[in-house]
Amino acid sequence: MAARVLAIWCMDWPAVAAAAAAGLPATEPVAVTLANRVVACSAAARAAGVKRGLRRREAQARCPQLHVVAADPARDARHFEGVTAAVDEVVPRAEVLRPGLLVLSVRGAARYFGSEQAASERLVDAVAAAGAECQVGIADQLSTAVFAARAGRIVEPGLDAQFLSPLSIRQLATEPSLAERGREDLADLLWRMGIRSIGQFAALLRTDVASRFGADAVTAHRFARGEPTRGPSGREPPSDLGVVMNCDPPVDRVDAAAFAGRLLAGELHRRLEGTGVGCTRLAIHAVTANGEELQRVWRCAEPLTEDATADRVRWQLDGWLNRSVRHEDRPTAPITVLRLDPVEVVSAAALQLPLWGSSGDDDRLRARRALVRVQGLLGQEAVQVPVLSGGRGPAERITLTPLGDEAVPRADPGQPWPGQLPEPSPTVLLDDPVELFDADGNPVRVTGRGLFSADPARLTAPALKSAGNRTGRLSWWAGPWPVDERWWDSGQVATQTKAGRTARVQVLLDGDGDTAGRALLLCYRQRRWYLEGMYE
Amino acid sequence: MTAAVSLDRSEESRSEQVEHLRRKMALMSGKGAGSAASTRRGAMPSNTSLPDSETLLPLPDSLADLLPTSLPRGSVAVLSGARSLLLGMVATVTAAGGHAAIVGQPDVGLLAAVEMGADLSRLAIIPDPGGDPVEVAAVLMDGLDLVVLGLGGRVVPPTRARAVTARARQKGCTLLVTGGDWPGASARLEARVSGYEVTGAGDGAPIPGCGRISRVRLATRAGGRSVGPVRKVGG
Repeated sequence: MAARVLAIWCMDWPAVAAAAAAGLPATEPVAVTLANRVVACSAAARAAGVKRGLRRREAQARCPQLHVVAADPARDARHFEGVTAAVDEVVPRAEVLRPGLLVLSVRGAARYFGSEQAASERLVDAVAAAGAECQVGIADQLSTAVFAARAGRIVEPGLDAQFLSPLSIRQLATEPSLAERGREDLADLLWRMGIRSIGQFAALLRTDVASRFGADAVTAHRFARGEPTRGPSGREPPSDLGVVMNCDPPVDRVDAAAFAGRLLAGELHRRLEGTGVGCTRLAIHAVTANGEELQRVWRCAEPLTEDATADRVRWQLDGWLNRSVRHEDRPTAPITVLRLDPVEVVSAAALQLPLWGSSGDDDRLRARRALVRVQGLLGQEAVQVPVLSGGRGPAERITLTPLGDEAVPRADPGQPWPGQLPEPSPTVLLDDPVELFDADGNPVRVTGRGLFSADPARLTAPALKSAGNRTGRLSWWAGPWPVDERWWDSGQVATQTKAGRTARVQVLLDGDGDTAGRALLLCYRQRRWYLEGMYE
Repeated sequence: MTAAVSLDRSEESRSEQVEHLRRKMALMSGKGAGSAASTRRGAMPSNTSLPDSETLLPLPDSLADLLPTSLPRGSVAVLSGARSLLLGMVATVTAAGGHAAIVGQPDVGLLAAVEMGADLSRLAIIPDPGGDPVEVAAVLMDGLDLVVLGLGGRVVPPTRARAVTARARQKGCTLLVTGGDWPGASARLEARVSGYEVTGAGDGAPIPGCGRISRVRLATRAGGRSVGPVRKVGG
């Protein structure tokens, strides 16, 4: 016996959903319009002469008390979720073809409730309890069942084609979730050729249809003959991969937390292996005895191994438990519940080692292992991986990310960055305040036009202990090269991001006798000079 | 020992002899040429069929003519003076496919290393190694080809230094020490800025207000057991 398919059709669903959203009773006339045309209307509106395809003004003229609502697929889907849930209660794994139309495999339900008739009655009751009207149809094939639902019929097994044959050929295009875009033209063409019913279309030879009307016509032809198509594919319930641990006694020390983390990581990885996936984003939740909830998501560049997971749990708990006392986020009680949720998983093929030899990056893995060990000693933030970033100053053009996190540059290095400092870059990067004076001993500023207020002649570094080698007369200078970046930031943010008008200057300090001078890169921002880098 | 024997011979035969003895030592210790060749071949440029490339560290051009032979892998060298030298070595090693880490130098300008040809994906930075940077460097020797260790003025006792040196030799990882001294280092390199080239600022002395710095000239001195007598090269 073929798999029987049941379709649940809620008529005029966009109008029903719009009425429900607006809080109107079902008896009010409602029309949903898209691009000034009515696409759906309620039964009351239809009784007043409104129909699909009318202009909005004409529909309002035919039924003056009509509520006109713009089409909103999100609203339809949102309101249909309640119906789906109600159907799921009775028969699980229903497939939603579109909001307002559900299909499900009825074989199991028919056996459970005694007959197909009884199953359909239960479903209609369940949908009515959820506040919607529906019609149910049962047939051998999915698309036939949809048409059976429109007629409210149960088609006997094997009689699909017979049920369909008296229907008008125009019906081929009426159900948008079953018809492709060109189906309307096909139905129109067949009508003009004198093929008026689906039965007449089904009587044509398959080869003739295929050679004259193309691939979509073949699909339509299969449907017209009631030949097997795909069955309903209900959604799988998402498998629950998260693991939970109730800590008894509650965890308040890092070593206990590390132990708990290792156990949890082991359990999580057994589950992940069982489902054949690897985890690239891991959420760590913790609940304390006082009911505080802490959560952090770790993003990783490659799938986590069991050890890496355990490390991350340990770092996270370490961070939470050892936060400085004045930190307001510090938990006030020990941790009682610990939960790991894989937020993002990838196919485990990424974790598979090659069968013979190595994958060619032995050296890389060896280096990585050594670095991970250092991470275990010093914490996750200790090992940083540089990546080239976009920017103008030498410090902005390198982004450091902790090893194991996704290395994303702060700004795109591929973009043109006009005003970027030319090569070579300083080999030492600093950020120390210095002072620049002209020949008369007055401080030098950079004017709003990007020029020096006077030619610089001398540099002093009052804040530096080893100021000896950074203080002296200038033998040469170049600049200022002004940059006006991130002027939209203000206040505290501006100080952090070093926003605003900046200017950079290269200077050469006089050497004394045998030692050559020093080349320095100075930066003028927030009306102060900073020593940004040294060339050496 | 080998260096002491070879010092009083002529230039070519000396370097040949060092090579010969080094290969012998590598064979005896079971590490080095034979085993290193199998583990490191993929990382090296394909045109270097000489066993040198397996046992020696790639060096920047400016240093290549300074040292009679390159620094052997697994040796310890003390660097002092200008930072370009260090970054140049990091750049050359990573560009040749090795992995490097810089420990305890938060102010290093990595962009300069990129301009020298460094491959950032093979580089890791440990800006703050905590109380014991030597320990961190010793752990890193397991998997990396070059570890740059900034001591920051700390003094390493000779016994500790000996243990770490032995570990470096065994793992085939070169340790470059800066910001302090290392008892028993096999090479000492010192770089000093000898001048700057400024383009676009006229001939002779650069005119203030014009041009930009285009190049840093280094004078490098090398000394120590594996290098031979102190020599000077202008860069």
